[in-house]
Amino acid sequence: METILLTVYVLIWLVIVAGVLWTVCRGFLKYWAESRKAGRSII
Amino acid sequence: MTVPNDSDLYQLSGWIVILLLVLLYGGTLLVSAYIGKKKENADGYMTAGNKVGFGISAASMTATWIWASSMYASATAGYTYGISGPIHYGLWGALMILFIYPFGKRIRAVAPKAHTLAEVMHSRHGRSSQLMLAGSNIVGSVISLTSNFIAGGALLALLSPFSFGQGVLTVAVGVLMYTLWSGFRASILTDFAQVVAMLGAVAIIIPVVFFAAGGPGMFEQGASNLTPQQSNFFSSDAFLNQGAPYIAAVLAYAIGNQTIAQRLFAVREDLIKKTFITATVGYGATVIGIGMVGVMALYLGVSPVGGDVNNLIPQMASTYLGPVLLCLFFVMILGALSSTADSDLSALSSIMMADVYGKNIAKKANPTTMLLVGRITMIAATAAALIIASQQMDILDLLVFVGALWGALVFLVIASFYWNKVTNKAFTTSVIVALAVFIPVRFSWFSMDGATGVVFDILSAAGIGTVLGLMVFGFFGLKPAKIVGALAAVASAPFVIGFLHDYTVLTGSLVAYAVRARSFAT
Repeated sequence: METILLTVYVLIWLVIVAGVLWTVCRGFLKYWAESRKAGRSII
Repeated sequence: MTVPNDSDLYQLSGWIVILLLVLLYGGTLLVSAYIGKKKENADGYMTAGNKVGFGISAASMTATWIWASSMYASATAGYTYGISGPIHYGLWGALMILFIYPFGKRIRAVAPKAHTLAEVMHSRHGRSSQLMLAGSNIVGSVISLTSNFIAGGALLALLSPFSFGQGVLTVAVGVLMYTLWSGFRASILTDFAQVVAMLGAVAIIIPVVFFAAGGPGMFEQGASNLTPQQSNFFSSDAFLNQGAPYIAAVLAYAIGNQTIAQRLFAVREDLIKKTFITATVGYGATVIGIGMVGVMALYLGVSPVGGDVNNLIPQMASTYLGPVLLCLFFVMILGALSSTADSDLSALSSIMMADVYGKNIAKKANPTTMLLVGRITMIAATAAALIIASQQMDILDLLVFVGALWGALVFLVIASFYWNKVTNKAFTTSVIVALAVFIPVRFSWFSMDGATGVVFDILSAAGIGTVLGLMVFGFFGLKPAKIVGALAAVASAPFVIGFLHDYTVLTGSLVAYAVRARSFAT
């Protein structure tokens, strides 16, 4: 049981990191598309 | 596979390293050129016009908060304090981003078009507090810049045939090249690319190292390598030596630091909350995740190369990652240190442009001259960091000093945004008193035996109340903050008195908070 818990504890962070990466990339692409449509620079 | 315990680490070939450096810095230079304008404007150079979108702002906040040292330190915490070590590094660092979010909203409401925190201090109550905050940030950012250059030099020296000096110079020139022309705009857009590389690398590297090192079996075979404290998730050693001092220090760091404030001024106002929450989760998961490499090293019974715990991460990467993933690891660390270094350059240039030239030298600031000041500052700061790096000064001691300086300022900075009665004199006096108490305690200049220790323990309990009260104040206002602060001070007193003064780092920070709050109130 302890081994399983430790395994989950070590590996859970990569799942969260992947989720954040997805959120940030989606936000970036959405804003980029909006900027292109409006004819302005992304930054 | 056995982990090498001496200096026979696997190294990348010189040509591969050159290729990776060209891809990383060449790529960021192209991004910078893509957004470059023939005539940059000073506002864009400092805050990108205060309307940056969510993806870029969240990525940039995350990238700036994660530097190479935070990855190394989290792994060190895991190796030293066991399974709870990375939590006591990464979780508190992450929560501080969240705790400054309400203050961030207030700062934007008070000064929607500001470029630096110090500039706001000037408009609230004068030159002395402005220059104190600007000065502390100049010292802090130059030290942070140096630390990142040193980390780059050490990485290249460890994983490539190149020397430390060549590594430091390469990183310094690479970062300066892509930041110099477009300033903050280049910094935050390249942060996005660097975050994608960093987070992507973390998501791949952790499971690969875990399974290559033996998977779940390592926890059974290596359990005997841990002390009872190291195998306890609620380790008091980990909390008192790592977590608690870090909470006090990082709260000050988050609020006083221009690199964070600059992103706060840049993001579109309605996206502040979303940006801070995403950066909190992103920073926490990334840094704690990398800290797990240190926990694995502990279970595996690894001894760090040369006895230096900073070598743990490269050592584990070199052992368990093949050449391709080692390249990814190399890019991850370079991305982490470059993103923080470019933020430091942007912060330094903005301070010199807005606080020094704009508020104290020019009678009427000329935007073209401002830009010139910003670019010259970046070149001068890079040169200064290179000189400090070559002197091999003790960066940790310098960082402690800057931490104390920010610790002495943070309460007053927050008070200034909510209370119009903060004067230049009150600000300056409180900072001097807080520093005068912090430094002797932190560096153990006198004995804490007997009644002296008890007095400082009582002050520490008041400091705990101040820190928790500050955190509650941002979210819930003054009355709940006072109640929580008082309860925390009273509840912690029995556990603190007669005991806490042995932990000088923690005592120094807490006493500084308590004395500052008290001197300011009087």
